[in-house]
Amino acid sequence: MSTNDPQQQQMIRDAMKAIAERKPGRTKLVYDKTKRTIVAVAEGSQAPRALNITADDADMFAMVTLSSRWLREQWPQITRDRMVSALFSSWDDGDAFTQCSLGVQPSPSVLQGTILFEGTPPPDGTQLRVVLTPTEASGSDPSTFTAPDGAAHRAVAWRTLNNADQAVATVFADVQPELNIRRTGILETTVLSDKSVLCIGLGTGGAQAAIELAKCGVGHFTLVDRDRLSVGNVVRHPGGISQVGRFKVNVVRDLIHEKNPDAQVITHPIELTYENREALRQLIAEASVVICGTDNRPSKLLVNQLCVEANVVAVYGGAFRRAYGGQILRVRPKQSPCHECFVAAMPEEASDVEISSSSDAGDIAYSDRPVAVEPGLSLDVLPIAIMLTKLALLELLADKASSLSVLNRDFDAPWYLWLNRPEPGTQYASLPPLSASSDEMTINRWYGIYFERETACPVCGDFISTIADSYGIDLSSAGPLRSLPAKE
Amino acid sequence: MWTAEQHRRIVLEHEVLQREGFTQFSVYQDTTADTYYASGWAVSNAGFRYGLYIPIPSGFPYQRPPMYITEPLPLLMADGTPVSRLGVSHQMHTLEPSSNGMVQICHWRDSRWHSSILLQKVFLKALIWIEAYEQHIATGRPLAEFVRTMAETS
Repeated sequence: MSTNDPQQQQMIRDAMKAIAERKPGRTKLVYDKTKRTIVAVAEGSQAPRALNITADDADMFAMVTLSSRWLREQWPQITRDRMVSALFSSWDDGDAFTQCSLGVQPSPSVLQGTILFEGTPPPDGTQLRVVLTPTEASGSDPSTFTAPDGAAHRAVAWRTLNNADQAVATVFADVQPELNIRRTGILETTVLSDKSVLCIGLGTGGAQAAIELAKCGVGHFTLVDRDRLSVGNVVRHPGGISQVGRFKVNVVRDLIHEKNPDAQVITHPIELTYENREALRQLIAEASVVICGTDNRPSKLLVNQLCVEANVVAVYGGAFRRAYGGQILRVRPKQSPCHECFVAAMPEEASDVEISSSSDAGDIAYSDRPVAVEPGLSLDVLPIAIMLTKLALLELLADKASSLSVLNRDFDAPWYLWLNRPEPGTQYASLPPLSASSDEMTINRWYGIYFERETACPVCGDFISTIADSYGIDLSSAGPLRSLPAKE
Repeated sequence: MWTAEQHRRIVLEHEVLQREGFTQFSVYQDTTADTYYASGWAVSNAGFRYGLYIPIPSGFPYQRPPMYITEPLPLLMADGTPVSRLGVSHQMHTLEPSSNGMVQICHWRDSRWHSSILLQKVFLKALIWIEAYEQHIATGRPLAEFVRTMAETS
């Protein structure tokens, strides 16, 4: 089907829309044997043969997608110059043209297009032109754009291919309102847009959690990770092979923008060390919630110390070795056990971590006893990432009414355990089969586990006084510095 | 640089060493550099003296303090080669040596350290390491065989 008559194109589009909406239209589609093509005919006209056209047939048109917000911003220029240019990603051999400014990832083939008013001659060499024509139609038509002055304009697009013009369907995308409306009902539109999440560690779980929160509408992200995306990461990480070599913070920033273009994202490709703790302290102070997806104890304990100090809720997630399971710890400072309490209460569980990179292995290996890199599968990490996201989301919504508030009674434990398989050599090796147990622990279920804060915790308790009392030491009378012997 | 809480903790560490009978070890302040360290002499059951030195890191107690043997220097293995040449060794329970060749004992790895561990326990592990080292010197067998594990259990 091809016609270069804009009026015919519009009639066909209207007819298809009516079919898709199961509504009778004023036109219908027929096959013209002479022209050997589909044409639209007005109601009552003679039609040689009617065709059975379905809504799927609308996909026969190539499509150009333009940003409504961008065009509103460009409106002063286009009304002055009668035209404005824009770059478009050309996808799938010219089947779809997406304005580059809609997202951050252009296609390998980008072409320049021109948006112009009807009657304005396009510049020479224009490959794609979008012609705006004043209309009385309402703004509900996706090919209709409402200008800042309230006037509606219908767009008809053309691409030039082999010196011939081909009509292209036009859709205006008003991105943020369209994204918000999909969340309405669960998350009241922009409830999360003023929230700020600090994501520390952007491996498979941390990156996925950040992207999921972007889908939920979180408006501010700060990303911290020193690593670059490697080829080996790609089988698990949301970043793809074309992103290899980039810092993970930048890869994830772009993925966040693909899901939430208005999100403010700040990146810090820095290492989590005590030398950087002042910078980290500032980032934590500005965060609504911290998600810690690092896979080593020193970094988690550093984050824990600073979050408790700043009274910021942190959620820690991690997989066990080869991701046979995983765990999440949510720390509400001074209300629930902190990560230091967790380490003291459950040292073995706290030490069971996935060795997913040579860097992780190097942290625990000896020169005469190497440690193998044994990452788990992405599908085994994702349940942990999703739960991590959900717990973080509940914290972000703590002071807001939402449909998710009912979950607060379900997720009131500090520690959550998940098992992907009954791993041999672990305490979970002899779990009953999933189908055989409803009250015993099995795989593929989340378990909320309760334990108490450690009163002598060095981070959230009073370790010094407790230890001093147990040894009969009176620190107050000793004076902090004078009690130390002078250097010899 | 040091917080009031860190000052209190460092004083506590010194006091615990004295109360627990580890009086050969003390915590010192280097006022010039505003740093702290713990050090002292250990005498093995066989009567040999070893200098022990813990520079207290700025992130203490959340950051693991390294434990070095300052004397003898170099500390030799049974075959006469310096222990420091092994670097991070499971057989000898050592970590990266200092730039001047002091052996660093592996008392806790970073992945096992937590801030509830007192310096007194670190010195205790060093004393165990020294006894195992002397068994290594006497037999030539790896030190690890004499300290089945120095891994954290609590």
